Amino acid sequence: MAQASQRIRNFSIIAHIDHGKSTLADRLIEYTGALSKREMEAQVLDSMDLERERGITIKLQAVQLSYPAKDGEIYQLNLIDTPGHVDFTYEVSRSLAACEGALLVVDAVQGIEAQTLANVYLALENNLELISVINKIDLPSAEPERVKQEIEDVIGLDASEAILASAKTGIGIEEILERIVTMVPPPQGEDQAPLKALIFDSKFDAYKGAISYVRIVEGRVSKGTKMKMMSSGKSFEVTEVGVFAPSMRIVDELKAGQVGFICASIKNVKDTQVGDTITDAENPADIPLPGYRKATPMVFCGLYPVEASDYNRLRDSLEKLHLNDASLIYEPETSIALGFGFRCGFLGLLHMEIVQERLEREYDLNMITTAPSVIYKVNTLKGEVLSIDNPSNLPTVDQIVSIEEPIVKATILVPSEYVGAIMELNQEKRGTYSNMDYVSKSRVRLIYELPLSEIVFDYFDQLKSRTKGYASLDYELSGYKETDLVKIDVLLNGEMVDALSFIVHRAKSYNRGRKLVEKLRGIIPRHMFEIPIQSVIGNKVIARETVSAMRKDVLSKCYGGDISRKRKLLEKQKAGKKRMKQVGSVEIPQDAFMAVLQIED
Amino acid sequence: MPSLYVHVPFCIQKCDYCAFYSHSLMESPKGLISVYLEGLEIEMVKRQKDAPQGVSSLFIGGGTPTVLTETDLERLLAMIQRYFPMDLGVEKTMEGNPGTLTDEKIQLIRSFGINRFSLGIQSFSDQLLSAVGRVHTVKQAREAIRGLRKAGFKNLNLDLMFGLPAQDMRIWQASIEEALSYSPEHLSLYGLMLEEGTPLYEQYVTTTTLAFNKSSSVILQVDQLPDEDLQTEMYEWAVKRLRHEGYRQYETSNFARPGYECQHNLGYWRGADYLGIGPGGVSCLNRVRWKNIEEVHAYKNLLFKGQSPLDKSGQEVLSLRVCMAERMILGLRLEEGVQLKAFENDFGADLRDIYRDVLERYHNRDIFIIQGGYICLNPKYSFVANSILQEFV
Repeated sequence: MAQASQRIRNFSIIAHIDHGKSTLADRLIEYTGALSKREMEAQVLDSMDLERERGITIKLQAVQLSYPAKDGEIYQLNLIDTPGHVDFTYEVSRSLAACEGALLVVDAVQGIEAQTLANVYLALENNLELISVINKIDLPSAEPERVKQEIEDVIGLDASEAILASAKTGIGIEEILERIVTMVPPPQGEDQAPLKALIFDSKFDAYKGAISYVRIVEGRVSKGTKMKMMSSGKSFEVTEVGVFAPSMRIVDELKAGQVGFICASIKNVKDTQVGDTITDAENPADIPLPGYRKATPMVFCGLYPVEASDYNRLRDSLEKLHLNDASLIYEPETSIALGFGFRCGFLGLLHMEIVQERLEREYDLNMITTAPSVIYKVNTLKGEVLSIDNPSNLPTVDQIVSIEEPIVKATILVPSEYVGAIMELNQEKRGTYSNMDYVSKSRVRLIYELPLSEIVFDYFDQLKSRTKGYASLDYELSGYKETDLVKIDVLLNGEMVDALSFIVHRAKSYNRGRKLVEKLRGIIPRHMFEIPIQSVIGNKVIARETVSAMRKDVLSKCYGGDISRKRKLLEKQKAGKKRMKQVGSVEIPQDAFMAVLQIED
Repeated sequence: MPSLYVHVPFCIQKCDYCAFYSHSLMESPKGLISVYLEGLEIEMVKRQKDAPQGVSSLFIGGGTPTVLTETDLERLLAMIQRYFPMDLGVEKTMEGNPGTLTDEKIQLIRSFGINRFSLGIQSFSDQLLSAVGRVHTVKQAREAIRGLRKAGFKNLNLDLMFGLPAQDMRIWQASIEEALSYSPEHLSLYGLMLEEGTPLYEQYVTTTTLAFNKSSSVILQVDQLPDEDLQTEMYEWAVKRLRHEGYRQYETSNFARPGYECQHNLGYWRGADYLGIGPGGVSCLNRVRWKNIEEVHAYKNLLFKGQSPLDKSGQEVLSLRVCMAERMILGLRLEEGVQLKAFENDFGADLRDIYRDVLERYHNRDIFIIQGGYICLNPKYSFVANSILQEFV
């Protein structure tokens, strides 16, 4: 085995949102001098504007650090960043598979959260060495001893040697680096063996083509290597290899144990499938590395351009986003009310919001989003099983034998005083209790089976508001269950607006149907005529409200000095109207299509 | 032939709803009016060439022209007479507020041939007047009307406002009835508009960002302001009442005895050219619109240096499309509407072709009436005209 790989450490950081992961990563980069203080832009790794604004990590990032340890050797530390949100569990599993160790960062005030726990389990599955770090110990309300106890009780890790740190003030940073060197095992893998490189992410660059982010498990790769994708058999010539320092830096060669990138003028990002193994076409490996399970979209919604002429631009933008985000899926669909658009699948609600926001900001698209839905399985009289991801495609009642809805196993961690509140919430949300245990003296883990559609509805907001923000949630799909579901349609001025249809449990249908029309009455602006709003199940009207006709909309004065100003005012009003969707003779604001999410049970 | 507007940017104190440029005399340094008049004279000399055939009407507005002292008023009126002489029959309006009018001033104004007076009454309720920062009292309003009549003004306009804070139907009706008792030839009824940057706007409007979908929208703090329905009822009641008294609603907010329509304002609405003189004055000649700089010293200094007192940001070359749009949005506020032939003469196209899409879209809805060579808005919709007028911009 080559000596060099003995001085490589590959690790990632597991932490809940807000527990200080990005700040800690920045501090490590700064300490090892990968960037000077002057060059540091706050939170280097979260490079998307959106990530920095929201304080979350969405995409994986990697950075190589050079650390002179106390033993006199210089170590190459590769940090692979991980997203901390439940939607991106899949991305976490990818980065963990490329590492030998992980820092478990826990907030000294908040303690362990549900998503951290889920990610710790992923790390343990991958046999990673875990180093516990208790962060934010500079806060006056920090309780490191309690948190240590929690780590031992909940995870079963020995926390006696947990590092007490403050990424903000720099306490414990050196100790963390030392511990990585001594605790995380160096990568195994022979650099003389045939090449095996695991693609853990890929990115499209207009000049370089599809770039593969790789962990070299065995062998070596350099410019000119004829590489081969083991799943497709396609071959490409490597044009450059490099490392993240933290910006991309070209090097001569990548060897077993290293983390870096490979460019090979690959036109199509589909040819750099995440989880695939790259080998040497002239000296191929026999078997590929174990890949990842594919990410399955769980939440679906319709995306429609407000201006029909933007359809092609929306398609191109989705295609571009998909290049860097394989978990986003989309296919064309047509709505009677909204025209041509796309049905898109997302990992979860946050993922959905992020995609929408990126489309609006980065691609300057003006869109209408329909309320999110899950995939229902419909058994028909003809014996077919249909997967319905759009409520308006639900067959009529006379053709349906039964409908099944997706169920998730939800894990909720919460201070014990909120157990009652959580149980009440889960009951309202049609949950089934399966287990409860005390993870520490004052914290409880609850496990429930919940319909995914209820989580998509307003579960997260309710969870946070009923527990003053202390509860955390993690969930995974556990199966399908037959349920008594009905479809509610909405009529505006007598015309059905298919994009407003939604599927709901029969017991809740009247309430939601009524609340929705009430909500819509507040959202739909007054027109020059009266607009009845009805919600119906089949042919039966279950609720009705009316938007009364507009009575006053006029400029009071309009003389020589104000003509330009008043004309511009009308232009502005008109532009505001353009952001609405005209269905029949009714102008519907974008908010209306999400209104169903804003009603409380 | 353009009309002439002369702006007098001074008030005793600005009203809380006013977004026009005006100096409060209480806060202005002494001598500011002289600076203004010196600048104004130079501008008049310069601008004579813009009206080689003379001007079609005169409107002296503000601000409050009547806050000027007799000496200053005389200077102003003499200047106009000298540089823009007008025949006796030409409509010459001055605007003013009760409380600033004395018998001597009225006599003076009269002696310079001003034949129409527009008085900013706003309300015959002292409580409402003080609620919107008006400095005059109802008593002063009554005195002013009597004074103007006594001096021989036979064409009098009264401005009234509805939708004021705490105004109810009864108070509004009382104001209309009192106004009618003076038999004015002309009445302007204005709904209160909350304009950005005014004290009333600050008081009643807050911008709130709705958390959901991050859309920004303006929420009215309407607790004290009459709501849309009440404002509509006030307006509709007044329209009916004035019609019954023999007034014609010849424009959305303007009512006149037959033959007493304001010629100056009709010019704006029919798309005629106009000269606006004084700080902040707006002119529109041959499809170019420009605005004078507002600040009085800067205005005078530019003129003294032989330059034009232009506000660069207020300059606009109107495209044919914009001109046509303005013709429509202004003309459709008139009872008569837009004359098809005048449109064709001015723009070389039939408006029914230009706006075919819009007219067809509303074809079945009884909104536009085309007859006798004019297109006008069904009066039923004049109070919700914006949503229709938008179609033309």
